[in-house]
Amino acid sequence: MGSNEPKMRISERALTVWKLYGWISAIITTIIAAGVITLAVLFDWSVWFIVGGVVVPILEIILFVYVFPTLKWRRWRYEVREEEIELQHGIFIVKRTLVPMVRVQHVDTEQGPILRKYRLATISISTAATLHQIPALDIDEADALRDSISALARVAEDDV
Amino acid sequence: MSEEKRLHPITTVINAAKAIKEAIIPIVILFFVNGGTGNSGSILDYVPILITAGLIILLIFSGVIQWWRFKYWIEEGELRIEQGLFVKKKRYIHFERIQSLNYSEGILHRPFKLVKIKVETAGSSSDLDSEAVLTAITKEEANELNRMISAAKKKLKEKGLDPELTVAEEPEVDDRVLYKMSPKDLIVMATTSGGAGVVLGGVLIFLSQFGELIPYETVFNELIEFVETGFLLAGILIVLVFLIAWLIAVAMTFLRYADFTVRLVDKDIVITRGLLEKKQTTVPLKRIQGIRFDQNIVREPFRYTSVTIESAGGSVLEKDSNAIRLLPMIKENEATPILNEILPDYEWNVDFKGAPSRSIFRYIFWKLFFSLFVIIPVSWFFFPIGLLSLTLIPVSILLGWMQYRTAGYNLSGDQLVMRFRGVSKQIVYMKKKRIQSVTWTETYFQRKGRVATITATIKSAIGGSSTSVEHLDKKDVETMMDWYRPEAVSNPEAREIIGELET
Repeated sequence: MGSNEPKMRISERALTVWKLYGWISAIITTIIAAGVITLAVLFDWSVWFIVGGVVVPILEIILFVYVFPTLKWRRWRYEVREEEIELQHGIFIVKRTLVPMVRVQHVDTEQGPILRKYRLATISISTAATLHQIPALDIDEADALRDSISALARVAEDDV
Repeated sequence: MSEEKRLHPITTVINAAKAIKEAIIPIVILFFVNGGTGNSGSILDYVPILITAGLIILLIFSGVIQWWRFKYWIEEGELRIEQGLFVKKKRYIHFERIQSLNYSEGILHRPFKLVKIKVETAGSSSDLDSEAVLTAITKEEANELNRMISAAKKKLKEKGLDPELTVAEEPEVDDRVLYKMSPKDLIVMATTSGGAGVVLGGVLIFLSQFGELIPYETVFNELIEFVETGFLLAGILIVLVFLIAWLIAVAMTFLRYADFTVRLVDKDIVITRGLLEKKQTTVPLKRIQGIRFDQNIVREPFRYTSVTIESAGGSVLEKDSNAIRLLPMIKENEATPILNEILPDYEWNVDFKGAPSRSIFRYIFWKLFFSLFVIIPVSWFFFPIGLLSLTLIPVSILLGWMQYRTAGYNLSGDQLVMRFRGVSKQIVYMKKKRIQSVTWTETYFQRKGRVATITATIKSAIGGSSTSVEHLDKKDVETMMDWYRPEAVSNPEAREIIGELET
């Protein structure tokens, strides 16, 4: 990436949460796969169903529990400066967004039950036309950031 | 004008007609239910007809009631509307919040010199209720309302002046006609819009629907004989069918766009159009977010283009209001002087910096790749006719190459212009302060090739409108990002370029 990429990383606990999400979906996949394997054995389906039923959950665990969350976390950067917010994320397609402070209309923080358990929150930044989110920030940090963004944001009146 | 007023009584007819139009499908179904058994002379045979008649009478009656209960008046700088029979609904709209009054005239309005007024507010787009419609009022009343609203707005700016006084002393507003669409342009528009094809398709669907009624076989046999008498006649017949489809398309275009006029009234653009139903759309200049040039592939060789306005706010109820056609069909070089008058702070003639030559392959590759997914199975299963799908290869290469040639951007002062092509060529002009956010994306392969895709989003009536240019040189993308960046630019090279731009 460019030399001046955003400096701040999101909370390391995000990794834990994403891994947890990965496990949850992997468990569901495993249950479905177990069902497929059982049916395949009972009704004498092709052996490939059994192979698939074993390989798919393993692949999912490797990718969605270990590989992707780490890559995602490593890529996620943000920086809130006085006049602009810069975000960077994306595993395969790196996406970098610049939002001038004067365009910000409001900021929200929100957390679901899992995020709350890990004392994390997601920040949503809205402009007149777009919505940008920073996932899984430490709750105190998120609150402070929300307050400072809403203090800095002052939409120029006739611009929208 | 502060007394309570009703709309013109013709509203009852308009309301009823609208209600009947909306209920037309159930009415028709009801009418044809048991339609075939009506020979027994029993009273039961008339039940569907009676119900239909009853329903229509009910709808007409409700139209009258709606009109009777609808009152509007002006009070304390607000337009106040009260309506509803059992549930009384009141809506107060403050003049300041009113962005524009859009007029339209239907066939029923015109004999009585009436207009339908749609009150557009600058409200948030989700708030459907923030708008109001006055179905039929006289033109004088409409103009009076318009005057009062603009006076109230002016008062707000100048503070302290009595609105009544301002109305009296108001100087003649600047009102200039900027553009009138010529019948020739209308015909070109109808011809190149693909409308004729749609009509043709519609006719075919219609014919297939009524297949039972038309003795196709007889017609077909006759047709065969007919064709045998000579290919010339068959050719003439085909030409005739196309001609009729084309004429219908032209007629439809005339209905919608006849008398298309763009005026600049004070600080608003006023667009009027329509033959039977006249429509007037008002766009305040300061709500304009960007200008889009759209050139489909048929129009491109003739240098005809269509210009639309991306405007914030506007009417949520009207489908096409977020992209307002400013100049539906115009020669490229004729558009510039008109736009210069409307938006003098935009730079219209710009040179584009294109994508680097190493991007050609990127534009072509994926199209080619995905076309193979069509070509291979189609050729395999439908051999040998399926081999025709091989034409997709040159088509994807050509399209990719054209997209590469079109892609480009220009920065001048506080303006960003992006040019790109899906199939149609598009150019979007945006001011820095109207751009809500800029994003650039980079895939693994793009990073290897030092190119990136840039996306700028402006506000439009509903949400945002994004414009992307793919595979531009990474340096160009960084220059654009730095141009947009409100804070000090870190890259000295870019700073120099931007410095040059701003002086």
